Amino acid sequence: MKSKNLLLSLVLAATAVLASACGGGGNTAETTKPAESSAAADEGQPKDGGSIIIAVQDDPKVLNPIYAGDRVTLTIDQSLYAPLFTITDGKKEYVLADSDSFSDDHLTYTLKLKDGLKWHDGQPITADDVVFTMDSILDENQHSSSRDQFVLDGKPVKVTKVDDLTVQFVLPEVSAAFEGGLAGLSPIPKHVFEGEKDIEKSEKNNNPIGSGPFKFKEYRAGEYVTLERFDDYFAGKAHLDSVTYRIAKDPNAANLALENGEIQMRMVDTQDYNRLEQTGKFNLEIYPEGRLQYMVFNLNVPSMQKKEVRQAIAYALDKNELITASYSSGDFAEPAASILTPDTLYHTDDVQTYDYNAEKAKQLLADAGVSGLKLRLAYTNTNKPQTSQALYIQQKLKEVGIEIELLPMDGTAYGNKTLDMNNKDFELSFGGYIMGAEPDAYKSLFLSDAAYNYSHYKDADFDALWSKGAVEIDTAKREELYKQIQQKVADEMTVYPIAYTKAIVAIDNTYGGVEEAQPKPVVMLADLSKLYKK
Amino acid sequence: MNNYIIRRIVQAIPLLFVISIVSFSLIKLAPGDPVLSFVTPDMGADDVARIRQSMGLDQPAYVQYFAWFKNVLTGDLGYSLVSHRPVSTMILERIPATFGLMGASLLLSLLFALPLSMLAGAKQNSIPDRILSLLSYIGISIPSFWFSMMLIYLFAVEFHWLPSMGMRTIGVDSIWDILKHGILPCTVLTFINVSVYMRYIRSNTISQLEEDYVQIQYAYGASTGTVLLRHVFKNVILPVVTILGMSLPELIAGAFITESVFSWPGMGSLGITAVHGLDYPVIMGITMISSILLVIGNLAADILYGAVDPRIKTTG
Repeated sequence: MKSKNLLLSLVLAATAVLASACGGGGNTAETTKPAESSAAADEGQPKDGGSIIIAVQDDPKVLNPIYAGDRVTLTIDQSLYAPLFTITDGKKEYVLADSDSFSDDHLTYTLKLKDGLKWHDGQPITADDVVFTMDSILDENQHSSSRDQFVLDGKPVKVTKVDDLTVQFVLPEVSAAFEGGLAGLSPIPKHVFEGEKDIEKSEKNNNPIGSGPFKFKEYRAGEYVTLERFDDYFAGKAHLDSVTYRIAKDPNAANLALENGEIQMRMVDTQDYNRLEQTGKFNLEIYPEGRLQYMVFNLNVPSMQKKEVRQAIAYALDKNELITASYSSGDFAEPAASILTPDTLYHTDDVQTYDYNAEKAKQLLADAGVSGLKLRLAYTNTNKPQTSQALYIQQKLKEVGIEIELLPMDGTAYGNKTLDMNNKDFELSFGGYIMGAEPDAYKSLFLSDAAYNYSHYKDADFDALWSKGAVEIDTAKREELYKQIQQKVADEMTVYPIAYTKAIVAIDNTYGGVEEAQPKPVVMLADLSKLYKK
Repeated sequence: MNNYIIRRIVQAIPLLFVISIVSFSLIKLAPGDPVLSFVTPDMGADDVARIRQSMGLDQPAYVQYFAWFKNVLTGDLGYSLVSHRPVSTMILERIPATFGLMGASLLLSLLFALPLSMLAGAKQNSIPDRILSLLSYIGISIPSFWFSMMLIYLFAVEFHWLPSMGMRTIGVDSIWDILKHGILPCTVLTFINVSVYMRYIRSNTISQLEEDYVQIQYAYGASTGTVLLRHVFKNVILPVVTILGMSLPELIAGAFITESVFSWPGMGSLGITAVHGLDYPVIMGITMISSILLVIGNLAADILYGAVDPRIKTTG
């Protein structure tokens, strides 16, 4: 009997430890159970109420838009903060801004805010906040990662308040990329952060005051961030009462939680698509991610310096096969020809393409006097599509007599190697980027001395095209410049564009309004206020 | 005795110093650059350089180490390079979840391991012994992430008995809810722990049963049960004390993989994120706390030895 008592008391003790340790420490004000509403007869009519749980892979970093750079933080900030305006597919849409205009000489830019805007704490949003935000970004001591966008030719943009709702930006030189840089910028509240020595480390970020359709409610480290509806949002109240971003570290476990209904929305991988579709429980949105997946030729290695060799490799590969091999179907990735993604301003398909032609490839190699080529192809060992592509390329290039050695590498080691300006450890490597709508942003990947110029292609004329593109304010002329840039890369074949990949977001089909909420690269949905519970 | 404790603690100081240098060097030797983990190509080169400088990462490694060391002496573990929050806050908010999970699993492990492995040892090569040995081998060799996924699939997705992840249902704040979330991760950890403990305790039981004192007890007519509980148990408990001493840091450092799979908001999850981002202030914080606890755990085990087995005397 004695041992039984011991057993019982140990179980009790174990339970007590678990319970006492985990129970305390919370600071939830009230508990809100997700409202259960029966499927509406009229599905077109948005209903108010309810909540959604969205899976994110990590804890957010600082919930302050002037520092956000990672996927999770950007996703949460999307609902927490409203931008001044956005540019989608070349179309400008005002959010906090009411109007804007350039002076005739294109050196003075005036931005007017909407009247009656409010921060989540009820304070008005004014020109002071915009000026303060710009000053903070430009202040080197605040180390915002957006500073460079507002420094032209070494001189910062000057930002001054005209009246309560009007801000004036004086540019040190004409810049066509300035507006693109300003698009998506969300102001931070001056009355909260004024006088903070280091805004990034400020305690005030723990309780962010934003301007978006949802306001901050609670953050539990490692668990979740909950936002609740902001009733004074200028564009109308959100349908849902609250949004919870739940931290789900393991993608496989997160998929199971999604199937189980513990999570209602998540960005999923192509290989999960069929399984989730079969359950019939999800609305699976497939949309362009604004991302280019490519193979880059490393011109540091002498064998890659001949243009004919690079072109021969492009001819020796069948892009459609390559895409099917890695993304299981063309539905999830579109064959790419240009280095600018289709959502980028001035993207064109009018570039040289390399349709599969093994004979031509052999001919080019023979013309270049190259035979028995042995190349090394590097990629990240955990990336499944890249692994499949590497195997395909290895097989396919055998046909034209090129032998490929595969170099799967650890992610960080690979990242370091590609950034080494003198790297000669491999001739070919894979990569991908999401650069957004402004083509000028791409120059950090292509200028001769740019840190991310993975091809190490150096050409003064090519650099000049980028510099001209940044300051050309005539739209037609600017379009022509970027067209030349895209054609040049396609012709030189320093980067072999593989595909514009698509993102898949799975949303429980008890939710409506997905189209209105606008699927968007990186952050899943652009406007969660439009989402509603059916 | 007091002198002994003080001497051991003083001896531990250089040890901790060496541990901190070794860990720091290992982090710095690892390929990768913490700045790169959050730099995107659309950031300008000047911005990246400024961020690197603001974190002190432009300095040589030894300068970074001594800056870190000086802060630690004043009790300041610094700020995370990634989240920019104080490391001490980040660690403190994770301790309850980890301590609860690891504590419960440790207690349950002992609860199962002690009787089962003594039984297995006493009935060596019997059918129960073989079954337990097989289970123990499985437990030692099974990958914990796979085992976790199987349990999630079975109990959360198929049967809907238990939640698959996290520590709480959103919006629900009850102890029962937390317990329900804890069952699966706790089962994984306990199963693996029991398997390991069993190897020690079983073999110890077998060797104790061959000792003369056991034969004498049998000669006096004692039953197997009495011999096991009254006499063998006391001797078997010794390696258990060692195991407990070694487990002390785990109570705080948590389980990297299991916590990640279940998205348990503990130190393991924090640690694995920090390692991926080469977030050295966080990694060092966790390493140093674990090291200190390991030193304390070993010390406590040595002192307990004296209590459990009077033959072991501490002189000092």
